[in-house]
Amino acid sequence: MTRPSPFSVRGRRALMVMRDEREISIMRRQLNRLGMTITEYDPAESPPDEAVDVIVLDADSIPIKSDLATVWKVDAPIIALIGTETPSRLKWLLDLKPASFLIKPLRSAGLYTALVVAFDSAQRRIDEAARIERLEDRIRCRRVVFAAILQVMRTHDRSESEAFTLIRETAMRHRTTIEQLSAEIVAVGGMPHRTPRTA
Amino acid sequence: MTKPSIPLGLVFSQSGPYAMMAGEMLKGALMAIDEINQHHGFDFTFAPHLRDPGGIVAAYHTACADLIREEHVDHIVGCYTSASRKQVIPIVERTERLLWHPARYEGFESSDNVIYVGAAPNHTVVPLVRHMLDHISGDVFCIGSNYVWTWETNRVTREIVTSAGGRILAERLLELGETAVDHIIKEIIDRKPPVVFNTLVGESSYSFIRALHAATMRAGLAIPMLSCSLCEPELKLIGSAASVGCITSSAYFESIERPENRAFVARWKARYGADSNPSVDGQSTYICVILLARAIRRADSADVGAVRRAAANHRYDSPQGPIWVDPDNNHCFLTPRLARSVHGCQFRIFWEADAPERPDPYLSNLDLPAVGTRPEKSNDAMTKRSTHLRIVK
Repeated sequence: MTRPSPFSVRGRRALMVMRDEREISIMRRQLNRLGMTITEYDPAESPPDEAVDVIVLDADSIPIKSDLATVWKVDAPIIALIGTETPSRLKWLLDLKPASFLIKPLRSAGLYTALVVAFDSAQRRIDEAARIERLEDRIRCRRVVFAAILQVMRTHDRSESEAFTLIRETAMRHRTTIEQLSAEIVAVGGMPHRTPRTA
Repeated sequence: MTKPSIPLGLVFSQSGPYAMMAGEMLKGALMAIDEINQHHGFDFTFAPHLRDPGGIVAAYHTACADLIREEHVDHIVGCYTSASRKQVIPIVERTERLLWHPARYEGFESSDNVIYVGAAPNHTVVPLVRHMLDHISGDVFCIGSNYVWTWETNRVTREIVTSAGGRILAERLLELGETAVDHIIKEIIDRKPPVVFNTLVGESSYSFIRALHAATMRAGLAIPMLSCSLCEPELKLIGSAASVGCITSSAYFESIERPENRAFVARWKARYGADSNPSVDGQSTYICVILLARAIRRADSADVGAVRRAAANHRYDSPQGPIWVDPDNNHCFLTPRLARSVHGCQFRIFWEADAPERPDPYLSNLDLPAVGTRPEKSNDAMTKRSTHLRIVK
């Protein structure tokens, strides 16, 4: 699937969670100019159950210590609108992991940058989460790889580095991963007999 | 010869949740305006133009836009809450006007187009918590209204208290205007905390103080209470008996023993009645107008840039003591004070700094290890540690 460019905002869905009428009218006008679709929502209500691409959230409109303070921890990137710069408010905001922010009062300039940064950082977050998951899988498999190396050292009378090289080369020949082959080695108690796959 | 008149915007809510405070502020402004207008030392008069946003946050923007467009004011005195000030800042910044803001607030702001005459957090919460650690306890029960003033005061309190090895025993919040306090009173009586820090505002605070007083009397308990905002007119609203004993931090109390203050209180009572009392906010609003008038006189112009420059570092011996604007952040040098409320709806001051303290709106000079260090228990612990502090009674 082709990823949407963070610079292309037309057609994306924005959820506005704001209360100040002047700010709302500026935001609505700019989002319309950018060709985005808009849903407006009152900050005093729980998040709606509809998929959106970005949430524009007026941080000052939700009390810090309220039931609503955490419900906005959602998957869509959040652009925070900031008026109060007190540490207590900013700490609350950090917990929401905003993708970008705008300082109030809003102007016509700045929103496009905030959107691009939000879409880009949301995509980076997804990529990084996927990468971390892959790395964590490999860490989980290290015990198995280590067990397979010991197995090959014993059954084939190899040194540790020779055993690893053998496993790596066999995995390449069989077009599988070191982790997968190691699991098979541990399962059968030695190097499995399998014919190399062909492309 | 008629003196030229300078239009002056006043923005105070005469209705809504904090109308009482804003009414006191308006009294301070009008008294100062009359004094300037009758004073031979000023070759101009102020023509006040009052707008009443009715306690509605969005109405502040409209009120100020109207004052600038219709009345052609360069200077506006007003706003009580931070929410209202933040409505006004964009318009004074865009149009290069000056807002003279009288109320204490939680800090973390510094606009070139606002002169902050009220106390910064280093003037209020820091000395109060320091006193609590030194003389009462490191373990505190916090109760406040659910908005930015409480959140930020609690955060600073928590930082100082925990760095001193103390504990926040609870952090209870009531919605603004809420007066159902029984569940919190019960919790306090059950848990018997060594001290309660009250950052409730308005009716919530009065109900809480009355109920806690009644409950502690019944239970035979004495639990000290701290406040950063109580003022004399509020003590009257709470009631004489229940309002006694609250340890309060403020730059101004009616009981300050200075010739300037005694004269100010006398003029206030002559104007508003013998049973009226100037509050910290009323006095601070009075100072706003006087500082502005003196800056205009020095600059020989009401031009915002010239006035801002003329106000910087210009010392005025106000009712609360010497005060001047720090041009680094447009906040004021003020003298922090601590007092205990006593019978007769007054405060007895028991400590004050021996010189006005530099405003620190971002608390960037707050030295937590120094503030949080708990010296040996002793009555003059505070003077031992900070030589610039002075016990007055």
